[in-house]
Amino acid sequence: MENIIAKSKSIYYPPGGILIWIIIFLELITFGIALIAMVFYGQDELEIFHTSRLQLNTTIGTINTLFLITSGYFMAQSVSCLRKGQKEKSSLLLKLTILGGLLFLGLKTIEYYFKIEAGLTVGYNTFFTFYWMLTLFHVIHVIVGLVILTSVLVGLRKNPAKVAMEDVEASAAFWHMCDLIWLLLFPVIYLLF
Amino acid sequence: MKGITITLVSLLMLTLISVVFSNYANGYMVFGIMVLAALKFVGISFYFMELKKAHSFWKFGLLLFLILFVALVLLFVK
Repeated sequence: MENIIAKSKSIYYPPGGILIWIIIFLELITFGIALIAMVFYGQDELEIFHTSRLQLNTTIGTINTLFLITSGYFMAQSVSCLRKGQKEKSSLLLKLTILGGLLFLGLKTIEYYFKIEAGLTVGYNTFFTFYWMLTLFHVIHVIVGLVILTSVLVGLRKNPAKVAMEDVEASAAFWHMCDLIWLLLFPVIYLLF
Repeated sequence: MKGITITLVSLLMLTLISVVFSNYANGYMVFGIMVLAALKFVGISFYFMELKKAHSFWKFGLLLFLILFVALVLLFVK
């Protein structure tokens, strides 16, 4: 444990490794610029952005935020258990993490279905163009995250001795990145206008 | 373990507070929503991602991004 802490104090080894953190920064900057562009364009079409925002279901957005945060919590616990050698408990927590992600995707699918039914598609107006582009791009990240976590889970079940702690930490960092991106998307898209 | 659980409860509460806050249209609404979002961002990155154990370079890098993002959003919102 002390070794891990000492290692993560190095500039070359943030938790999860330097490569995943470069990806995290690039992703955050990309989403950040897109969200700032959304806010910028929103000031020219305040009325449209306000009425469009009211057409979104804030309850679904809030529940999805709670799903992702709780899922992130299970992920953090899973990594902690794995460090202590509690592989069974870590696997169980990883399953709960994946469940949180699947619930997020399920609710997002329902939300998308109602938006398409109502004709609020990508070209409806500027607000919905940003809404679809940003949330779909985020959903792709969640799906990739789930694939990564599933591969970690399969590794833990089939051959736990071969699972490297660094790989699990990097996978966890990617999953938490999905949380971070959503924490920027949610207030700007669902609450601000 | 206990610290992570406290963070989870705080994050869930901050999410609900930000939703309630967004229903009150006043001059501080946008500021309040963005500050609450920033707090949640710090909670996830520093506690769930264990950035608090990392080198200062990564902590300041992430905080710089967050401050810039919130500042630009507040700058553009009338």
